[in-house]
Amino acid sequence: MSQPVPSGPKLRLDGVRKTFTVPRSGATVVAVETADLTIEAGEFLTIVGPSGCGKSTILNMLAGLELPTEGTVAMDGRTITGPAAERGMVFQDYALFPWKTVFENVEFGLRYGPHGKGLSTAERRRRVARCVELVGLGGSEQKYPHELSGGMRQRCGIARLVANEPDVLLMDEPFAALDAQTRIILQEELLRIWGETGNRAERRTVVFITHAIDEAVFLSDRVVVMSAHPGRIIEVLDVGLPRPRTDATRTRPEFQALSQAIWNLIRDEVYRAATAAGSAGGARD
Amino acid sequence: MARAADSGAPPGRQWRQSTVLLYLRSLLALAIIWSLIALWVGNHVILPQPTSVAYELFRLIASGEMLVHAAVSLWRLALSYALAALIGIPLGLLMGLWPWASDLLDPVVEILRPISGIAWIPLALFIFGIGNELPIFIITYVALFPFLLNTMAGVRATDRTLVRAARTMGVDQRTIVRHVMIPSALPQILTGARIAGGAAWMSLVAAELIGAPSGLGFAIEWYRQLLMTPKVIAVIVVISLLGYLTDRGLRWLQQRLTPWSTGIGANP
Ligand SMILES: Nc1ncnc2c1ncn2[C@@H]1O[C@H](COP(=O)(O)OP(=O)(O)OP(=O)(O)O)[C@@H](O)[C@H]1O
Ligand SMILES: [Mg+2]
Repeated sequence: MSQPVPSGPKLRLDGVRKTFTVPRSGATVVAVETADLTIEAGEFLTIVGPSGCGKSTILNMLAGLELPTEGTVAMDGRTITGPAAERGMVFQDYALFPWKTVFENVEFGLRYGPHGKGLSTAERRRRVARCVELVGLGGSEQKYPHELSGGMRQRCGIARLVANEPDVLLMDEPFAALDAQTRIILQEELLRIWGETGNRAERRTVVFITHAIDEAVFLSDRVVVMSAHPGRIIEVLDVGLPRPRTDATRTRPEFQALSQAIWNLIRDEVYRAATAAGSAGGARD
Repeated sequence: MARAADSGAPPGRQWRQSTVLLYLRSLLALAIIWSLIALWVGNHVILPQPTSVAYELFRLIASGEMLVHAAVSLWRLALSYALAALIGIPLGLLMGLWPWASDLLDPVVEILRPISGIAWIPLALFIFGIGNELPIFIITYVALFPFLLNTMAGVRATDRTLVRAARTMGVDQRTIVRHVMIPSALPQILTGARIAGGAAWMSLVAAELIGAPSGLGFAIEWYRQLLMTPKVIAVIVVISLLGYLTDRGLRWLQQRLTPWSTGIGANP
């Protein structure tokens, strides 16, 4: 149901396959099996799937941190060959700099990277302060990451991403460590930052990974469902719920029907993956 | 932004006072045992009473002689320590950052490292003779390895995810080295600095005993030849005190520069 934005696909995966060689045994692990996907500019896309199905691997390839073994990953029609400030990322394990305070962490990209060029120190500080405020970390600016709770670290990672104002926001389970209430607040915050209420053409592009199906449905324009062993895309679903999304969205019958449909897909996959792992005698991470 | 780094312990004066008391108590116990053993030995040249050591210590300080020896030793120590840091840290960075550099240098380091600084003294006597050069060479040699090896290991241990995080913000390789890898290695570099400090003091005395016409090590040897044991021990006391203070200073620096590293263990 989502209308393609006139400017054409923002991101494109073309016959992408990614394998890893396990260092000691030399065995080959297929992380992602031939994936084709186009992501429109301004789209909010979520990837769900069982653990180990290659979600993070796809995100890393979009970031340019990993290169596909086969196929191409492109942004605005240009093949991605490495990371860049236009594609910012929130990492599953936060990846905050332990020697920098919350403020300095959020400031990092603007201070040392290309997106802060031309900003005066005062402007930069103001923007950083705004982002810290936005994720509810006001008052903790001078704390070091080790002094923060898991949820606060995650929010700091989100503030760091938003402060750098990337074109594409890649988010790897950014809300996983949050309590339910904060999570709901930040979901709505994220949609606001993304530009849900504003002009379609001004929205950034978001690729979001989550384990929570209701979160995927609540946030996205489309949900990509993946299966494990080997990791592949099995279904891409249009959400089609009206925006802006509110608390009322969660109680709509379409919301629940779609959540149920996704769960059915994943549940089958979880069972299948569990049996496969069991017969291979391997414990999964 | 100046924050206290002591984890949990009541900060400030109270803590420091009780530490001083603990030290004094242990030292007093040591002095009593020493005194008893000295009584039992009953030979002033082999083991004098702590009181006569204290008296000689006071006289050496009062006459200014101790200050002269200590100043010479400290000057040599500071110079060699700075040299070791200036060579060791950049080499360690180089070896930590670029495999070709470590491929080139690692064998040399591994071959030289097990050789104690003292083993070089006879050879250094040939080359440098007696003077400043010999102790400076020995101390630099000894302090170099902790700096180098800890810097290298610290850089190599940089969390890959942090480097990746920096790269997704578009920063260049120089910034990553300067603002990710070096800060990440800093706690380990500072640990290296403390090990180097201890090693420097030990080798200083050894080198001065044999190869220098002045300094604390020389003073020990000089008064030994004159059979003035109380003065020998008085110099040893000063060395121990200065060595201890050096380490306290480095520890203070460590807490100042890496206040965040105390809680690192709590990170996932
Ligand atoms: N650097 C690597 N070396 C070897 N194997 C890897 C590497 N990175 C990922 N893999 C493997 O690729 C597969 C997909 O991993 P990925 O991290 O993308 O999963 P995921 O879907 O993000 O899982 P989770 O939900 O648990 O985060 C896994 O089987 C994993 O073991
Ligand atoms: Mg993952």
